[in-house]
Amino acid sequence: MSTTTSPAATDAMRSRRHRRHGNRFLAAVPYLAPAALLYGFFLVYPMLDSVRLSFFEWSGFRTEEPTFVGTDNYVRLFTADPVFWAAFRNSIIWVVLSLLVPMTLSLLLALALNRRMVGRNLFRSVFYIPAVFASITVAAMWRWIYNPTLGTVNQVLEAVGLESWSRQWLGDPDIALYSVFVAAIWQGVGFNMVLFLAGLQQVPVELVEAAKLDGARGPQIFRHVTMPALRPTFVVVLILTIISSLKVFDLVVGMTGGGPAQSTQVLALWSYTQSFSNHNFGQGGAVATVLLVISLCLVVPYLTWALKGEDR
Amino acid sequence: MATATLTRVPTGTASATRRPRDWVGIGLWIALAISAIAWATPFVFMFLTSVKSKADVSQLSTWDLPTVWLWQNYADAVQTGDLWVTGGNSLLIALVKVPLGLLVASATAFALGRLRFRRSKLVLGLFAVGSMVPIQVALGPLFNTMLSLDLLDSRAGLLLPYLAFGIPYQVFMLYGFFKAIPDELDESARIDGASTFRVYWQICLPLARPALAALFILDFVATWNEYAMATTLLQSQSNWTIPLAVQGFSSQHATDYGALNAFIILSAVPVLIVYLMFQRYFVQGAFSGAVKG
Repeated sequence: MSTTTSPAATDAMRSRRHRRHGNRFLAAVPYLAPAALLYGFFLVYPMLDSVRLSFFEWSGFRTEEPTFVGTDNYVRLFTADPVFWAAFRNSIIWVVLSLLVPMTLSLLLALALNRRMVGRNLFRSVFYIPAVFASITVAAMWRWIYNPTLGTVNQVLEAVGLESWSRQWLGDPDIALYSVFVAAIWQGVGFNMVLFLAGLQQVPVELVEAAKLDGARGPQIFRHVTMPALRPTFVVVLILTIISSLKVFDLVVGMTGGGPAQSTQVLALWSYTQSFSNHNFGQGGAVATVLLVISLCLVVPYLTWALKGEDR
Repeated sequence: MATATLTRVPTGTASATRRPRDWVGIGLWIALAISAIAWATPFVFMFLTSVKSKADVSQLSTWDLPTVWLWQNYADAVQTGDLWVTGGNSLLIALVKVPLGLLVASATAFALGRLRFRRSKLVLGLFAVGSMVPIQVALGPLFNTMLSLDLLDSRAGLLLPYLAFGIPYQVFMLYGFFKAIPDELDESARIDGASTFRVYWQICLPLARPALAALFILDFVATWNEYAMATTLLQSQSNWTIPLAVQGFSSQHATDYGALNAFIILSAVPVLIVYLMFQRYFVQGAFSGAVKG
């Protein structure tokens, strides 16, 4: 976003470009077409079709024709579907917790690991490696770690004399969601840490040096030099965190399947369950549409802002 | 030993008068070491369990060494989980999908970043939105589409949506790299008579090599790990990919803990190899681009 071109040169280019706009578009078509076709047919179309299906009642079986029911699915979703509200609540909790815990942790790790120190690359790898594991694999690992009798967590608690703390980590509706979230922290911190590390590389060294010469200390440097320079990184991490929180699916499927008693149900999984397990593509489409609207409300302002910066 | 290495931690600035010991640095290092150990423990316990017999698993604590190192668990896991078949499927899909996806996405990023036609930014925005919407929103209709195209439960039927869902993110990232190329470069090439295709193929693509390498790794890992779409579109076990195999194994053989943990470890070996081989690109290539925009 930070390309520098002199204003005069920009003007000259712009007028030249204006005359050639038509040609440029025709020249661009062959390069755009393959991606546009794939993207349109296998991403945009299914998404819009989810919205369309949300106004129909349909079992998903080919033998049955979808029946148009207007807004019935939405009425039922908002007034008669307790699972939807549980899923909605859990998705919100998940987004808020993700913005608080793993984001803070990853920023702290990045700040610490931005210093030169012995074993820095090893540390970075240890924190990053869980991020390259498939979420479904992480789910299988943690289901084992949480195993009530043979799993690590309860055995450690017993070994240090805290038997009373041991419990059914994934079987207790009050804490199951948070147990799954711990696995998500373990997996997710490394990725954001790397983003923050990349952002820290863009903090101008001269500014830090100048601030030090002026007698600024660690916290002051952080507030007045590092933080402002990290702002674009923050925006990226923030938006990526929100999006990935709304997408949470694999971990829940692999660890609890949404249970016990819907206590770990989330929107993405409820949409899937309604369509494929309950054979109710209309209800599934309605949940998907809600999720789509939430995502777009968050993403479109961000993109508009990000792309405005692209102006030359 | 540890303290001897610790004193070598530099204080940061050359101009600062060197204090005898950087206590903040040492404290930080210890805190990091403890966190790193905590972060690595799940792997250690996974591994220990993967070489234990059923008797050892139920009688010993998770941190105890096995009485017999049962490497046979790995062989059993490969066989029971059909690892060669599912691994082959995953590898085939990744090796077709990743290069093809990068080719298609880079062509689009080139068109948007270098040919700059009117409304190109709007088109970029339309592409970018797709990388930010939950995949699950489209799963139901995607299933129907594949059913009507007769591509359900086939590797090709998984490949096409994988391509579609990889494109937006890659276009967004590569756009930044292509746009940063100085105008003089391709203008002079054009004056020398180069076609648009040559500008794309011989100037822009080679310049974007670091970004392409980083995206290749990221996309390989993401494709290898994808679960939601695969579980929707694939049915027969012979078409399964690795994540489906892991999920299948952990629900079917949930009590065979040794083999289960061995299978989990084996399933992640390829991504670990890819990660370790191309580690440096993770921080430098793609992510610095991501942060810039």
